[in-house]
Amino acid sequence: MTEAPTVDIWIRRLNLLQLIVAGVIILAPTVWMVLSSLKPSFEVTAYPPTLLFSPTLENYVQLTETTPFLDYAINSLIVTIGSTGLGLLFGIPAAFAVSWTRISWPAILTLAARMAPGTLFLLPWYVMFRQVGMIGSYSALILSHAVITLPIIIWILLPSFDAIPRSIFEAAQVDGCSVTRILWRIALPLVASGIAVAAILAFVFSWNYFLFALVLSNGDSKTLIAAAFNFIGEGSTQWGALMAAATLIALPPLILAMLVQRWLVSGLTLGAVKG
Amino acid sequence: MASISIRSLIKRYGNYTVIPNLDLEIADHEFVVFVGPSGCGKSTLLRIIAGLEPITSGDLYIADKRVNSVPAAQRDIAMVFQDYALYPHMRVYENMSFALELRGTSKAEIDARVRRAAALLHIESYLDRKPKELSGGQRQRVAMGRAIVRNPKAFLFDEPLSNLDAKLRGQVRAEIKALSQQLKTTMVFVTHDQVEAMTMADRIVVMQSGTVQQYDTPEAVYERPANKFVAGFIGSPAMNFFPLELHGDRIVFSQDGTTAPLDVECQGLLHQAGNGVLGIRPEHFAVTGEAADGIAAIIKLVEPLGSDTLVHFDLAGVSAIARVDPSLRPKVGDRLNLRPQPGKTHLFDGTDGRVLR
Repeated sequence: MTEAPTVDIWIRRLNLLQLIVAGVIILAPTVWMVLSSLKPSFEVTAYPPTLLFSPTLENYVQLTETTPFLDYAINSLIVTIGSTGLGLLFGIPAAFAVSWTRISWPAILTLAARMAPGTLFLLPWYVMFRQVGMIGSYSALILSHAVITLPIIIWILLPSFDAIPRSIFEAAQVDGCSVTRILWRIALPLVASGIAVAAILAFVFSWNYFLFALVLSNGDSKTLIAAAFNFIGEGSTQWGALMAAATLIALPPLILAMLVQRWLVSGLTLGAVKG
Repeated sequence: MASISIRSLIKRYGNYTVIPNLDLEIADHEFVVFVGPSGCGKSTLLRIIAGLEPITSGDLYIADKRVNSVPAAQRDIAMVFQDYALYPHMRVYENMSFALELRGTSKAEIDARVRRAAALLHIESYLDRKPKELSGGQRQRVAMGRAIVRNPKAFLFDEPLSNLDAKLRGQVRAEIKALSQQLKTTMVFVTHDQVEAMTMADRIVVMQSGTVQQYDTPEAVYERPANKFVAGFIGSPAMNFFPLELHGDRIVFSQDGTTAPLDVECQGLLHQAGNGVLGIRPEHFAVTGEAADGIAAIIKLVEPLGSDTLVHFDLAGVSAIARVDPSLRPKVGDRLNLRPQPGKTHLFDGTDGRVLR
């Protein structure tokens, strides 16, 4: 009888310890990145690292003065919004169709595509896009990034659609709805939070994806993440500018996630739709 | 308004046959109840009528039109689901008006129909609420309202009362019955509850293993069951069954070997059948004062129901139940002299269960 509270206390302590360890693992590199971006160049790589320093924006100034940072940011936005939109356009009906027909192989196929290394797609795409003169175009980047966004959207939305009681769709059928109308009028409003989650995660994955932009973009269409790679040189790496770029690149997904964190949690744990 | 005709219908899921071969005629304006145990195919049959399940073979006619390949959306049938299946993101008004809107009905007409149905079901004050803000009974009414506003050819009900508590179930049951008399539309109602079947139906379809065991009025199904399955399924508590064999002009109860005299008609029927089963409903036992006039039964369990009392006892080696007057105040261990009421016993074939008398 007296052991139970002690066990509870130890479980709580272990939980807290887990949270602290997870927090340090997740946050330490981020904190290091932000602090480094605010350090003078000579202090960024100092060993041991300095924790007390006079913050400066010189890395950010260097970043904006030596690179067309805003252009890269716009490129990133165009590619990310385009590929997320494309993913939603095809992913929503695809997830609904898989849920409706209970034929799961198309969803498994997209998952396999997502799990395959990006390099698998790179060469065929490079050859294909070069032959049709699309290398360096936004379209090539948007299409290639859809391989990232489409599986995410399908796999996040699938359980959301599955959670809607079948009888609701059947009631709509009896009421006179075609399948397309059921998707539009009944299913979509019921999976709105799932769509928000899918869109945000697709946005984040596409925004941060490096490989395709590195190979398939050119100077005019280079995305932020690929442009940041320029600060890593063969002889020397401009760590301060690189950290400033990384900090700015991390901001949009971070702000987005914070704005919709409540939806994120509810969307990811979406259960049965309660009437 | 429409008749429904099902001819030589077969339904299979892969190699599993749910409905082997079924014929059924439902007349215009008729209230028909499909009743049977779980897995008997009654809901599948209803879903086939609704167009939610394809037919493997056979024909389905609604209002004399073959609708085998007509999608649910175009059958002009309304259905009330077991879980009500209301659209959670729409208000009650929108739930009820949705089907009319899809058909291009004018806004004024939609409004008039929704308000008329709401008044009929006493849900006018809920029209602006979402389904999650309603109780089970209110949701049930909205589901019926959604069906009513459409003025469909037929209403289909798939166990709509099973999620309600006992009191509400009785109330809504009476309301649906009243509604059917008011609307004068063909209604098909699926239930596993024989009380619902008996109280609501013009005719009952008793189903087992995808086949129709009997299709008749509630009175006929109760008083003249077509076979032992129907006799045992309809009536609560269930009919008592006593297996027996014919020995000369007497019957021998198979379970304990006791004998009893038998009339000439039964002798003839049993002679052809070989062996049989005697069926007596609990309410068809009469309590007699004279021991010589009846069968002595020692009571082993008493269930007072208020209006009457159920007594459990062993008879001819079978555990049996009789419904008796509560004023008798029977107690466990008491001896009761029981006698089957004349003309109220049933005789079934011992092999295939069909009724002999």
